[in-house]
Amino acid sequence: MILAAVEEINSAGGVLGRRMEVFAEDSQTNPQAAVLAAKKLLEVNRVRAILGTWSSGVSLAVIPLTNEANAILMNTSGAPALSVPPANAKGLSFRFQATNDRFGRAFAEIAQREGFRRPATMAFNNASGIGNTEGFRRAWAAKGFANGEHVIYEPNQPSYRAELLRVLATRPDVIVMGSFLPDTTIILREWYQMGVPVRWIIPAWAANPQLVQALGPAVTEGIIAVDTVSNEGSPAFARYDAAYRRAMNQPGTANVYAAMAWDMAVTLALAIERARSFDTFAIRDAIRLVANPPGEAVSSFAEGKARLAAGQEIDYQGASSVLDFDEFGDVTPDFGVFRIERGEINRKYVVKI
Amino acid sequence: MFGALAVAGIVHGLIIGLTALAVTMAFGIARFPNAAAGDTMTAGAYAAVSVHAATGSLVSATAAAVAASAAVSLAGYLLIFRRLAGRSLAAHLVAAIGFAFIIRAVLGLMFGHQQRVFFLPLGWPIEILGLRVPPLDLALVVVAAISLGFVFALLHGTAIGREMRAVADDPDLARAFGISPDRIMIALWLVAGAACGVAGMMLGVKTVVTPEMGWDALLSAFAAAILGGIGSAPGAVGAGLVLGLAQELSSPFVGFTYKIALAFIVLLAVLLFRPRGLFGQRDAVR
Amino acid sequence: MEAYLLAISVIAAIYVLLTLGLTIQYGLTGLINFGHVGFFAIGAYTSALLSLAAVPIPLSLAAAALLAALAAWPIGLLALRLREDYFAVVTLGFGETVRLVITSERWLTNGVQGIPGIPRLFAAELATVGTTLTLLVLAACCLAAALVMRRIARSPFGRIIEAIRDNEDAVRALGKDPSGFKTRVLALGSALAGLAGGFYAHVITYISPDQFIALVTFYAWIAMIMGGVGRISGAVLGALLLMAFLEGTRFVRDLFPGLVSEVEMASVRLGAVGLALVLFTLFRPQGLVGDYTRR
Repeated sequence: MILAAVEEINSAGGVLGRRMEVFAEDSQTNPQAAVLAAKKLLEVNRVRAILGTWSSGVSLAVIPLTNEANAILMNTSGAPALSVPPANAKGLSFRFQATNDRFGRAFAEIAQREGFRRPATMAFNNASGIGNTEGFRRAWAAKGFANGEHVIYEPNQPSYRAELLRVLATRPDVIVMGSFLPDTTIILREWYQMGVPVRWIIPAWAANPQLVQALGPAVTEGIIAVDTVSNEGSPAFARYDAAYRRAMNQPGTANVYAAMAWDMAVTLALAIERARSFDTFAIRDAIRLVANPPGEAVSSFAEGKARLAAGQEIDYQGASSVLDFDEFGDVTPDFGVFRIERGEINRKYVVKI
Repeated sequence: MFGALAVAGIVHGLIIGLTALAVTMAFGIARFPNAAAGDTMTAGAYAAVSVHAATGSLVSATAAAVAASAAVSLAGYLLIFRRLAGRSLAAHLVAAIGFAFIIRAVLGLMFGHQQRVFFLPLGWPIEILGLRVPPLDLALVVVAAISLGFVFALLHGTAIGREMRAVADDPDLARAFGISPDRIMIALWLVAGAACGVAGMMLGVKTVVTPEMGWDALLSAFAAAILGGIGSAPGAVGAGLVLGLAQELSSPFVGFTYKIALAFIVLLAVLLFRPRGLFGQRDAVR
Repeated sequence: MEAYLLAISVIAAIYVLLTLGLTIQYGLTGLINFGHVGFFAIGAYTSALLSLAAVPIPLSLAAAALLAALAAWPIGLLALRLREDYFAVVTLGFGETVRLVITSERWLTNGVQGIPGIPRLFAAELATVGTTLTLLVLAACCLAAALVMRRIARSPFGRIIEAIRDNEDAVRALGKDPSGFKTRVLALGSALAGLAGGFYAHVITYISPDQFIALVTFYAWIAMIMGGVGRISGAVLGALLLMAFLEGTRFVRDLFPGLVSEVEMASVRLGAVGLALVLFTLFRPQGLVGDYTRR
């Protein structure tokens, strides 16, 4: 989607009259390979910005390189460490996805809204799982409520009965998970056969149609699934969606990260236009000028470029979210709350934090 | 709570036990630890889940698992391990690791890394002796018992089984009696593979099928094989049960991360204090 | 282009150091260490944590090597009473256990979140200068390790090690206890692995438990086997070949876009390493430059 967005940008006249060029490398979702990929991009291709790193391990490994090269890093990783020094000492990192912590806060809002009072948490033992659940527990405590049992479990185990027993012994009314599809499948299957009633709040990448297919409607009935939702009403989303359908033959809602990637390219281009310079730090400062209020709401590069040329300030409303970057370079997307009912995953409402 | 953990431990233990059985047989007869046992399990699991998705029958899935794993195991022998006869232990070990990687890579390419799941009806727990046992677990225990029954019947009731046991006890003597090694080996690798297949299917039913599932189970299988005494089939199964139960029952005390290390600790303890394991015949450790 | 090649060379040099450690252990004594990555990890975390606590990097690297060697000692003492295949299984378990401890002891290692922001060896403003200097330091370490290996092989200690490799019972019959020697060799090889791990931490600047999986051990094994067991030049050649393979697959995807997805590429790499292990074991166990006596 970066390529598609850049195509649109270039056909609208490019940035400051010049074409944007994209080089792609494969991080193999592995920090060591990512470092070499970044080295190649920064030193061989001399890129000015790196867009689209997804795994926290990759972003954390790459950011010292981009900082050193005074390049901007736009990522969709969850790790809290990316917001602050030493990783973000120069403020060159911009995160287009909710931090793990924000996910946790969203869970807390939802748990409160749904009327739960005795939540317990189960976390997959990796940064994302732990980040989500700890974010939840912090937010829950900040609301003045008491936190329940907290279990961290290892991947690839044949049975999670011991972990479940520990959690269920405290009689929670809901279990908030920081989990993934395979372990969620196993845990829910074991739980169901134990016959102990409890509700579930699960990230939507785990509580998805595959989970329903694996376990069936009876087991998954009533599960609350949560994920960031793209800014689906916006005109920017419509443009992205059209491009996505052309490229992938699927609706743009199929991939939230693709929408983020699209926004990365557009935001960067608009910031360059606003900065009227290719200096990294000027671009960095301009990003907030073009993406945050105040300004005229725009939804595409062409529109934004025109308004900037007319001397107006703009506020790019992105496809993935309204893209208001805070002082750490993080955004706060909206969260969609879905419930699984009779095997269907239905969106119930949206939560803003 | 310990009752529920014990039930989980028994199923877990049987899975370990079956793989340990395959490992101990290979260890006892071919005389090296087969590091490809885990990935042979995975191959069986994939065969089973594919057949089950097509037919809905657990019986045919089991048959598919047995056939696939036995075939993979035999292929390993014919293409690799037979050619390594007389070579060092290290060569066997390294080749086994390489074979394991190959199996895993092929499965990954064939089936992708998304999980595959057995669609089985889930039911309410059954009360047995005051314990609530999920019916799925019960079914798995029955499958395991039948498989073990077959293996022991083979080992103790047939000529080839007797010959296999003889070779495990004393290969030189066995050769002196004219027992043909190649026939034994083929039988060995087929049976060991079959055991891995059943274990893989069970693990897949209990959890999910992914390309890494077997490799993750390998260490426990080795620990159980050594605990039970190399070459002792009942030892391997018994040790598997012990290990499975120990892992489940210990988790309230050592935590959910370190219970995995239990296999390693058991391994060390056995090798230090009772190298021939519980039922091993000789101290072949040194 | 040079900067990119420099970066690859640095990683390759780290693998050379790691493989040299393994070569000392296996090549000279026949010890089958399947837990090499555990010592790599100990070295990485030690150097990372110490340097973040304001210890100068040369010291933290030395500590990394030392700690890895110390960790090897009890393993050696315990496990050297075992036959080689049991030892292999035990070391495999050790490697996994190290990773589990790193994952669990969050107070020390930050667990699965990993440790970002590890200081570089040379925080030079010009990235190329810093990388070149790092490469030189690494090359010097590899050279030193190689020289040490050669000295050991030629010394009385070394001759005993060679003897152990060929016939342990004879050595014991002469009244020499192999265990002490074996333990020292294990410690030395592990020290090299720890040193390699320390360098790794300062080059990648971010470490986390899932970078220290068993596959790394087998990368070192395949490098050693491809190059030629027991030969220093073999370790170097093998590590370079390994690096060329791992990075080369990047360009395969450039040449044949769409042929293989990224996830499939991971399987292809795994399968290729496995195939190489099997084929070299079957048909060329002495590796590309190794000696024929080693089977």
